[in-house]
Amino acid sequence: MMDQNTILEVRDCAVVLDGQRLLSGVSFTVRKGEALAVIGPNGAGKTLLFKALLGLVPYSGTITWRPDLRIGYVPQKFPVDKTMPLTVREFFLLKSKRLWFPDQTFLDHLSHELSLVGLSQEVLERPVGELSGGQLQRLLIGWAMVDHPEVMLFDEPTAGIDVGFEETVYQLLQRLQKERGTTILLISHELNIVYRYADQVLCLNREMLCHGKPREVLHPQDLARLFGESSFYEHQKEAHS
Amino acid sequence: MDLPSLTSLVIGAAVGIASGGVGAFIILKRMALVGDALSHVALPGIALALFYAIDPFWGVLIFLLAAAVIVWWLEGRTTLPADALVGLLFTTSLAVGVLTIPSDEIIHSLFGGFPTLSPLAFIITTGLAIAAAAMVLGFARQFLFRTITPDLARVHGVGRWFDLLLLALFALIVSLGIKLVGTLLMGALTIIPASIAKNITKTMKAFFTVSTLLGGFISVTGLFIAYAFSFLPGPSIILFGVGLFLISLVLPRRIHS
Repeated sequence: MMDQNTILEVRDCAVVLDGQRLLSGVSFTVRKGEALAVIGPNGAGKTLLFKALLGLVPYSGTITWRPDLRIGYVPQKFPVDKTMPLTVREFFLLKSKRLWFPDQTFLDHLSHELSLVGLSQEVLERPVGELSGGQLQRLLIGWAMVDHPEVMLFDEPTAGIDVGFEETVYQLLQRLQKERGTTILLISHELNIVYRYADQVLCLNREMLCHGKPREVLHPQDLARLFGESSFYEHQKEAHS
Repeated sequence: MDLPSLTSLVIGAAVGIASGGVGAFIILKRMALVGDALSHVALPGIALALFYAIDPFWGVLIFLLAAAVIVWWLEGRTTLPADALVGLLFTTSLAVGVLTIPSDEIIHSLFGGFPTLSPLAFIITTGLAIAAAAMVLGFARQFLFRTITPDLARVHGVGRWFDLLLLALFALIVSLGIKLVGTLLMGALTIIPASIAKNITKTMKAFFTVSTLLGGFISVTGLFIAYAFSFLPGPSIILFGVGLFLISLVLPRRIHS
């Protein structure tokens, strides 16, 4: 049985796709209001772990979410058909029950959430296909948090975003955590972010290499194992800057 | 002036509207060719129904629903060349159908005709078309969600079953239109209104509304043209639609809501 504060419990999770073992031996627990960062090199299976958590790929082992949880997901890649006749407002309406005749409270709430991610209200009328990469990333974050989910999964939330906004995103994550008590699972390649914002870190490279509080588990030798010797010094420098 | 029968016009309008509605999602899912090929599966269904002396509609419906399930199943497989399999399977059924349908029935089966229906069949056809169009409208949010982002849709409880429902509705609507438009051209009636609408609209509401209304308009106007010039209805409807499509290419995209 999960205790009351536990949001997510993962036991010995493994993913095999097309006969290839892409992830194995992942076990961890996330408690309410915590921020967990997942780090690892390219191709380590970070995104795949998120997809398993969300039930988007088949897995073995057990993944147990607290029942009736609202989950927000900000994917790393979001391919948009440039010719799709869909406005930002309509994109948000996918989350309301009424697509064709939206109710006013939902629309009012929208502009509030948009301002949190730094988008102006006029963007609501624009076709999604005409947004810039940065605007789209902001939109996805706003979209994921619009219904106040209890858990949010961010897959590299600052990839493709300008440096100034990067800081805003992490402040936003902290704000969500503090004000709404949102539990946050975050894939990041920036170790300074992990040190500053995460309560727990999970190192992945096809298997779980470390798990615990960032300052306790992120030893130089772990990072060397995780990212390989060549990138180790660079990351260590980054971590200390 | 002579007019096509009221029965044909009502069926044409109902099937056209339903085609325009379901076609909107087929186009957004980039499944235009699959949808087109799917309608060819109807032919062996017609042959079998004729052999057993039942209404061809039932043969068509069974074959198309089966084909819809196959397409849906293939979509979920990453290791199979789904497009090639769909192409092979559906053209095979076209070949089988052409060889097995009696030659005096073949032209109407391929290109449609003015249907002569019993009052009961007329009510069933029109009623089913209206019901299918209403279901497309009612589940539009789910269909759109799955089209734009299947992963996020799944996270928010809109699973793959909605893809199957959309394909099943598509199969039903194609089955209803085949007597009028024919197996070779019925797929096109679902694709043309949405293609035109996509060229001239910028919002989902406008796109869906324009596509649905155009479906009815193209179908009914095509019937008038066919009647006036003693053409087959199928080709008349499709050619009129393609004419509108060409015009839409030079129009600006400005319909917002």
